[in-house]
Amino acid sequence: MIQINKLSKIFRTEEVETNALSEISLTINEGDFISIMGPSGSGKSTLLNIIGLLDSASGGSYQLLGQEMIGLKEKLKSKARKENIGFIFQNFNLIDELSVYDNIELPLIYNNVSPSERKKKVQDIAKILGIAHRLKHYPQQLSGGQQQRVAVARALINDPKIILADEPTGNLDSKNGNEVMELLTDLHASGSTILMVTHSDYDASFSQKTILMKDGIILSEKTNNRNVDVLVSSKN
Amino acid sequence: MLKNWTNIFIYHIRNNKIFTALNVLGLSIGIAGLIFAILYWNDEQSYDQWNPNKDNIFLVANQMDPTTYWASSSAPIGSAIKEVSPEIESFCYLSGSYDNDIIRFNTKKVQSDHIIVAQKNFFDYFPYEFIEGSQKAALPDVNSICLSEDLAFQIFGNEAALGKQIILQGKNLVVRGVYKLDKKSLCNPSCVVNFMDERIKNTIQQWGNFQFVLLLKLKNGNDQDQVVKRMQKIYFANMTAPRAKAQGMTAKEFIQKFGEVKAGLEPLSSIRLHTKTGGIIESNGNYQFLIIMVGLSILILTLSIVNYVNSATANAVKRAKEVGVRKIIGASKSAIIQQFIFETAIISLVSILISLVIVELTIPYYNAFLEKNLVLQSSQFYLQLVAIFFVTVLLAGIFPAIYIANFEPLKVLKGNFGRSKSGVWLRNGMLIFQFAVAAFFIVGSYIVYEQIDLMNSKDLGFNGKQILNISYRNIYGEKITNEDRFQRYNIIKNQLKHIRGIQEVSAGGFVFGQGAKSVISYHHKDINIDGNNMPIDFGLLEMLKIKLVDGRYLNPKFAQDTVSSMLINETALRLLNEKNPIGKKINWDGKEAIIVGIVKDFSVGNPGETIPPMTFFHFKSVPWFTSLLNNIYIKADPKTMQQTLADIENLWEKR
Repeated sequence: MIQINKLSKIFRTEEVETNALSEISLTINEGDFISIMGPSGSGKSTLLNIIGLLDSASGGSYQLLGQEMIGLKEKLKSKARKENIGFIFQNFNLIDELSVYDNIELPLIYNNVSPSERKKKVQDIAKILGIAHRLKHYPQQLSGGQQQRVAVARALINDPKIILADEPTGNLDSKNGNEVMELLTDLHASGSTILMVTHSDYDASFSQKTILMKDGIILSEKTNNRNVDVLVSSKN
Repeated sequence: MLKNWTNIFIYHIRNNKIFTALNVLGLSIGIAGLIFAILYWNDEQSYDQWNPNKDNIFLVANQMDPTTYWASSSAPIGSAIKEVSPEIESFCYLSGSYDNDIIRFNTKKVQSDHIIVAQKNFFDYFPYEFIEGSQKAALPDVNSICLSEDLAFQIFGNEAALGKQIILQGKNLVVRGVYKLDKKSLCNPSCVVNFMDERIKNTIQQWGNFQFVLLLKLKNGNDQDQVVKRMQKIYFANMTAPRAKAQGMTAKEFIQKFGEVKAGLEPLSSIRLHTKTGGIIESNGNYQFLIIMVGLSILILTLSIVNYVNSATANAVKRAKEVGVRKIIGASKSAIIQQFIFETAIISLVSILISLVIVELTIPYYNAFLEKNLVLQSSQFYLQLVAIFFVTVLLAGIFPAIYIANFEPLKVLKGNFGRSKSGVWLRNGMLIFQFAVAAFFIVGSYIVYEQIDLMNSKDLGFNGKQILNISYRNIYGEKITNEDRFQRYNIIKNQLKHIRGIQEVSAGGFVFGQGAKSVISYHHKDINIDGNNMPIDFGLLEMLKIKLVDGRYLNPKFAQDTVSSMLINETALRLLNEKNPIGKKINWDGKEAIIVGIVKDFSVGNPGETIPPMTFFHFKSVPWFTSLLNNIYIKADPKTMQQTLADIENLWEKR
């Protein structure tokens, strides 16, 4: 699904040149659940942003569904993004001025889905995520966990090919964090492709594969065993 | 999509009530200004546009010198040019201004100040709709009159006017038609009479007497150049050539020295706003003022739009996160631009509605200021309103929308609003523009204030305190002789003098504020002076405290003062270039006049205009001057003013 080959990103200021990513290669297949770990400044968020078409690369190749994304025009990028990618952020990034319903509905609007279908889809997903009774509320009236559920609902509403999660549990307490991770695991189980950036070993353990990054390169890749139950009970 | 946009828009309005109100109010005031200007513009542009012949009817505009154009023509030129020009369908003479007179029907008296004296084809030129009679049979003979609907109602009430007999200027006239006066034109007569033929007949030999307005109707409006050329030839043959001969010069020399009258034509459609002449009948539209009004209103609207743009971009920070999220979710730039233009469109729409309310509420004051009767109507106006809407939305909406749509989602979500340098320049530039325009308005108002203050406090050269001015019409008709007319004035003068409180009575042939009624050019030692004729009775200058700089006032003690004595003003003296003017003989219109005094310059017309050269004669010195006797001036004792006024009214009623 995603083919990344020798991808690099250089930040230039007037004095210094920083290699945020140096010639990274990575393949993500359909149905993968991959987490990226690494210290601050290792380039993991940059990689996620480039994959999410929010940032551009300095060199290399990035193919999404067989289509080259590097050098693509903003308009086409925005089209590829809205059709294929769902985002979940650490700070939720909900629009505070819109109700939960309006927030979840937004991607459908930009994908030109008909109003009646939109209504049905929003209600369905809200039911699945347990926020159906909150649809008329505004984000600030919800708890952090509920807000992240809304964000997940928004990310999923459009049936994206891949879900990009940037430290989805970073702003949540462990209980809510756990719920969100379980949500992601369920999604994975139902066939979704997920790429997640995290600081937490615990969160990473939910994924199939963990990539460790440092100074813009991939240090190691390891496949996680599925012994997660032990860790869950220990409430890391 | 619209619902989503509307929801968030309403949310922001609710949370920024004052800010939104200020923005809307600013735009409303700007748009209201433009609406006012457009109403004025439409009104001015609509004059005579309804006339089907507006491009075939031409005013003969004569260029007297390089800068002076007269709307009046001589009596003989009309038939002369018609005879030699196959392009001309017809011509029509009319009086250059409205007559003010009393119409009598049985015992009823109705005064009308919009009487037009014309020829019988007047309604062919101004085809007002007839509700009684018909346009073709409107003015078949000199005993015919056509009335406007209003005047007919004043005279006859609800009865039919057609065929009734009325008396005007001592003549029995038959009403041949009643027309509707519902269209804008430079000629809006309350009634039209066919007295012009006689006046033309009386002056048919006088090529140099420019007295009447002449309109020509061409078969094809494009032929005007040929007609002008022919007219020029006629002028040359009848004016320049004989005059040169009389001076013993060749025509070329004469033209070089004194110039010549040049013919010109102005289409009816453009007279109101673009005539070079002083205008005919109704006063001209003031094109310059119109342009200034439109310009200023556009400036005000620009100011409010710039203000809107500035505050919208400053406020964009509040929308940054929303825009970032929308873009991440899949909104394209154009979707964001559309959203913000949508918001501007709603604000503009509300602003336009409010501006319409503002205009509706304040239009009476505007009408009073312009002396017009404008209303918020007409399909043309609504089309313009739609245009204003789109232009406002585009100008006010596009910049903030693009500015916001260019937010990079990653940066704004991290709270980093790195504004580009060019954006800062643009915003600073707009700020400077705003302050510059505001300063312009403040300085401009101050200058206007000072200017008006100057005009108000300017010494006009005469003193009008305690002076009553009575408009004195010719109520005796065309047939009265000049001697008779002056005699009757003298009778009135004597009667007035017997009223308690009246100290002095005199008369003049000019109106303060409007200027002199006629101009006669005279030559002195090769110098040509266009002297404004100021006919006076004894004592008028003294009464008005108009000072002398040399010589003496006219005085009944001197017999020659009613024969040849002449006063001129300082401006005329400067032009004459005479060191010792007193006693100098001047050839004035074929008459030998002797200068006995120099009058200090005073304003008789618009105080803002330069004072023209003036020629003062006693009414008796130039017999036809009596026909200009239109104002009686009375100096009265302020203590008994009320009683004096009542007594004067009594005297007038009895006559």
